[in-house]
Amino acid sequence: MSEKKFMKGNEAIAEAAVRAGCRFFAGYPITPQNEIPEYLSWRLPEVGGAYVQGESEIASINMVYGASAMGTRAMTSSSGPGISLKAEGISYLAAAMLPALIVNISRGGPGLGSIQPAQSDYLQATKALGHGGFHAMVFAPNSAQEAVDLVYQAWDYAERDRNPVLVLMDGCLGNIMEEVELPPMKELSDEDLPEWSLTRRNGRDYQGNITPIYTEPILEGINAMAGEMYKAWEEEDVKVETFLLDDAEYVVVAYGIASRVAKEAIMELRKEGFKVGMIRPITLFPFPKKVIHDLDYNRVKGIIDIEMTVPAQMRDDIALQVMERCPIHEYGRSGGCLLDDEGVYDAIKEIVTGGVDNG
Amino acid sequence: MAEYKRSSMIAESPSGYCPGCLHALATRLVSDVLDELGQGDNSLNVISVGCSALNLLYWCGDNLSVAHGRAPAAATGVKRTNPERLVFAYQGDGDLAAIGLSEIMSAANRGENFTVIFANNQTYGMTGGQMAPTTLIGQKTTTSIYGRDPQTTGYPMKMCELISSLEAPVYVARFALNSPKGVRDAKAGIKKAFQAQLDGKGFTFVELLTNCPTNWHMTPLQTLDYMNTNTIPYFKPGVYKDKTE
Amino acid sequence: MKTSFVFSGSGGQGIMSAGITLAQTAIMMGKHATYLPEYGPEQRGGSAKCTVVISDEPIISPLPLRCDNLIVMNNLAYNKFEEDLKPDGVLLCNASLVTNPQQRDNITVISANVDDLALELGNPRAANIILLGILIGATGIVSKEAFQKSLELKFGSKAPEILQMNLAALDKGYDIGIQHKA
Repeated sequence: MSEKKFMKGNEAIAEAAVRAGCRFFAGYPITPQNEIPEYLSWRLPEVGGAYVQGESEIASINMVYGASAMGTRAMTSSSGPGISLKAEGISYLAAAMLPALIVNISRGGPGLGSIQPAQSDYLQATKALGHGGFHAMVFAPNSAQEAVDLVYQAWDYAERDRNPVLVLMDGCLGNIMEEVELPPMKELSDEDLPEWSLTRRNGRDYQGNITPIYTEPILEGINAMAGEMYKAWEEEDVKVETFLLDDAEYVVVAYGIASRVAKEAIMELRKEGFKVGMIRPITLFPFPKKVIHDLDYNRVKGIIDIEMTVPAQMRDDIALQVMERCPIHEYGRSGGCLLDDEGVYDAIKEIVTGGVDNG
Repeated sequence: MAEYKRSSMIAESPSGYCPGCLHALATRLVSDVLDELGQGDNSLNVISVGCSALNLLYWCGDNLSVAHGRAPAAATGVKRTNPERLVFAYQGDGDLAAIGLSEIMSAANRGENFTVIFANNQTYGMTGGQMAPTTLIGQKTTTSIYGRDPQTTGYPMKMCELISSLEAPVYVARFALNSPKGVRDAKAGIKKAFQAQLDGKGFTFVELLTNCPTNWHMTPLQTLDYMNTNTIPYFKPGVYKDKTE
Repeated sequence: MKTSFVFSGSGGQGIMSAGITLAQTAIMMGKHATYLPEYGPEQRGGSAKCTVVISDEPIISPLPLRCDNLIVMNNLAYNKFEEDLKPDGVLLCNASLVTNPQQRDNITVISANVDDLALELGNPRAANIILLGILIGATGIVSKEAFQKSLELKFGSKAPEILQMNLAALDKGYDIGIQHKA
């Protein structure tokens, strides 16, 4: 049974995780994600789960590693500086082929940066969540509702792939309150515990081994399999929203909070006759390459990359698909300064009316 | 007279430890205790990084291999979600007292209901004998070639003393594996720790003083003497805390 | 119709709870609403600001640059956010702490000594509800009845005394606001 609630994005994520079957959380306080651990600290014990406040982000991700090895749906959350600390553990999760959900409610960077929202962790999320050359699927919701929907599915992907999943969402969406419809509680039993897990509740009667270290030929084979998995994601798991693309002469590419501000601006510009559309990646990895590659570049005069970070971080991924068939413009705010509807409207208008050419 | 036979948790394949290394004896004691408690199948070995990681090659129970120093954190995730399992972390001194100092102290302070077996041989064995936080004053290593100098590197860290100062741990003890008595005491200590865990009493910590013939550049017999004259006087064996009764 | 509100002041003045309660009331009336808080790093006494957007349609951007209604609880907030108020907007000031609001661009300025009025009611913490009462009276963004219901849901079972005090604060503010209704 579903129900509607007026909820903070962070709390919506936490409740969606519980309903998706999450029964273990470990994390360390950091703004702007604190509502996630605060909520789970009382909510998980209600459903027979465990919450641990780790002594550090490093310890927390390794607690998740331990819980996940037992087949428990486990998660952690943090913001940029903490995700950097978790990088070691995330790499080990990928190596040991352990599913987990990691949530990054991102803020201004680099360094301690700013506690205000920003989209400054795109490159970290999509290119190198840790050492050694691996990827995690990266979901980038643009509303509390979409965060709920994606978190609810996260372990299905993570367990299918035996690989961590990252939800990347900026502090605006983490702290915004809006209406969400919550999905029903998934009732998981011991029979749902993965066969590979080290628990004995799944009836396993032989020795189990989970390791992030391998001998050379085995590791090469595992890495090759991971490569095949990433390719399969591109074929089957890309999530993308397109908006008014059919006749668009300018195409905005934006994700998360930036896509909402941009959409409002595009609707205004459409009223004035400007043919602007939008591509919104929902999965940042796998990146929606095809829809950008297949645009009609006889019609499209420019791409506008809008992100709440400066310089734009998604630009290289876009450029690889545009292949110099049109200019790529960028607009953004950074360091905790927020995008706003008028600023984005002015920026797009200036580009489409030929006021600037930074391609 | 008890029959001397292979412990059930130890595979017949070579351990990977150097000849004369007491790691092999330490893990054998753990295995024997698990056999005596009938807990082999129920046990889970959280294996850290360093020579302790060679457990992976021959330990026949359920194994979870984890990042350097993080075994107490991973064991927390294991035990909190599967409290019925007998969980122990097997860690060396670089792993536990340097890179993993935060994890061990915090898990101990939370009173996590698992056991840490701490093999202290005062050096980083696997990486070739560098100075460890437990290296004795004056002891030569590849990163302290004139001997450990307290002026620049401080003093050997006494983990039992540190951990027993915390409120939560229920059993904290140190044993030296260089004598038959030390081995017998160590086995009894491990058994006491595991039993306390099975009884749900809380955090237990057993430090085992071991050796490193290869990196100490000694014969195995010389290492046992060195432990008597150098290691044991500084790292005094004994029960530092016992709240199990 | 999309209407935006910025509530601003210092931490501890009830800025955030005012914004949440307004947004919740709008949703109770079948409208759509978003609430977005912005905090400084201080736990107390730092700047506090929240943006509420209320609309009959689902809300796309929750980040308007400028707002239709600006509610300021002190001079600091007035000086910082005054320029974010749209022409023809409503500026609602806590006159107890905002000393010299300027008239410009056909904005409607409503000043009330809500801190003093709250003290008269016997609870200085009711100032934000008085302010909301004025806002509701002047703009009609939500009905007084719906807001009363929000307060009942929030305090009714747990703190009946606080509820009564807040209902009185709402009445007091509403009566002032209605005199400014356009």
